[in-house]
Amino acid sequence: MKNKNFLLITPAIAIFSFLFVLPFIYFFLISLWKIKFFKLIKDFNLVNYEKAIFNYVEIFLNTYSISIPVAIVTTIIGFYYSYLARFKTGKFGSIMIFIALITLFGGYLMKIYAWKTILGNEGIINSILIYFHMIDEPLSFLLYSKQGLIITFVHFLLPFSILPTYASLRGVNEIEIDSMKDLGAKFYHVQFMLFFQRCRTGVLASFVFCLLITSGDYITPYLIGGKITFIGNMIAPKFGQFYDWPGGAAMSFTMLTISISIILIVTFLFKFTDPK
Amino acid sequence: MIIDKFVSRIFAFVLSFFLISPILLVVLFAFTDRAIASFPINSLSLKWWVEIFNHRQFASCLFNSITIGLSVALVSSITGTMAAVGLSKLPTKTASLTLAIISIPIMLPPLVLGIALLSFYVSLGMKLGLHTVIISHLLFTQPFVILVVYSRMITFDYSVIDSARDLGASPLKAFITITIPIIQPVVIGAALLAVALSVDDFIITFFTIGAGNTLPTLVFGMMRTSLRPSVNAIGTIILFMTISSSIIALWITKYRG
Repeated sequence: MKNKNFLLITPAIAIFSFLFVLPFIYFFLISLWKIKFFKLIKDFNLVNYEKAIFNYVEIFLNTYSISIPVAIVTTIIGFYYSYLARFKTGKFGSIMIFIALITLFGGYLMKIYAWKTILGNEGIINSILIYFHMIDEPLSFLLYSKQGLIITFVHFLLPFSILPTYASLRGVNEIEIDSMKDLGAKFYHVQFMLFFQRCRTGVLASFVFCLLITSGDYITPYLIGGKITFIGNMIAPKFGQFYDWPGGAAMSFTMLTISISIILIVTFLFKFTDPK
Repeated sequence: MIIDKFVSRIFAFVLSFFLISPILLVVLFAFTDRAIASFPINSLSLKWWVEIFNHRQFASCLFNSITIGLSVALVSSITGTMAAVGLSKLPTKTASLTLAIISIPIMLPPLVLGIALLSFYVSLGMKLGLHTVIISHLLFTQPFVILVVYSRMITFDYSVIDSARDLGASPLKAFITITIPIIQPVVIGAALLAVALSVDDFIITFFTIGAGNTLPTLVFGMMRTSLRPSVNAIGTIILFMTISSSIIALWITKYRG
């Protein structure tokens, strides 16, 4: 009986092993090789990592100076959205969750494109403001700027943050909150308790996902960010016009290591809020 | 108290509006006649749709997207359902650990997944094409299928199967005549989610497709060169495919977050 269950899982595990584990081991090996006259040479050296760390310090700083705030802001807004949907809006709450699910499937590229048309010089915000004579010249700081990039990221990631936190909040009873208030808890006490204790898995999952996805993105910076370059914008061309797989692989692993370290630190800090 | 409720409603409305308006705008501007997406809208028109349907590559991109989406849904719903049935009979701890590990590809940046797969396929001497895109998409659609079907299977009533077995049905017959009809809606729902995820994917497709195009890679090419509203028309088609399949999926599986 037990063997049969493992047999059922085998195809899924096979897909995971052959298309994820093997390629990643190979990808790691590539990061240790080098390239000579457009040919991969099997080698063992850490030169690529040295380059990845020292030549791109500024770009890594750039990437994380945007993706850490994005992950934090998205997680907080996502929590607040789920809180409103769960406790404050009655019937409208299920519409809010439906809207979150629709935007989740609303297309990655199309969302970026939509923000490009909303924020541009001849875009929707500027054209409305000019139409109502609120401004004379289009506001040019909207698109190709840090602000525009952050807005686009937060919008794209919000559904991924709302759904896990809402799932945790569903388990919370209104009576719990009411009795906290009866015992003299302030508004922010309740929020703090919900955010750090009842939703801790959802909140952490949201932060982890947002950080990994933002720091590894390169399409949004390319289309919305203007002069802002993410590390992904340096990695992607190494697999296209600039043939340098080892360099790109080493940069990818460096990026993942940094992201995972940040996640471990945040998870560790979260432990302090645990009353147990 | 009343002010609190009022403020909450305003925030809820503003945030919902922030989430949904970009998507509505894409659809709206696919039906206007101006060359730039901006207000005021003078008149509605279908000219961007005509432009898209006359586009040289549009038909093949649509065909590729549908082929990839359906193949991915077919394979991942079979392997995913099998895995979910198998996992549901294991202890919860083992099952959730396996699920967490299989879900790692969803958490990773698609860029890293795309380039790792690209270098792997090329080194194996595989020719890039629709088949490489299909097997790559399995990596991130399969975990969703397993998750959705597994959450149905843990509430599955096995006494029905036992009765069938007592009445002389073979394990296979019991599975085909009882388990499959019961879990069928959930599996179809999960397959539709897989279609939505696959049709929407851009980055992994971009690296693993080689020379071909799908709807998202066509949109990307058009976005780089110009901002013509015909992009809105293709976007509306992609949105229609992903959102309609996911709405049907959510309705069938009764999944609510």
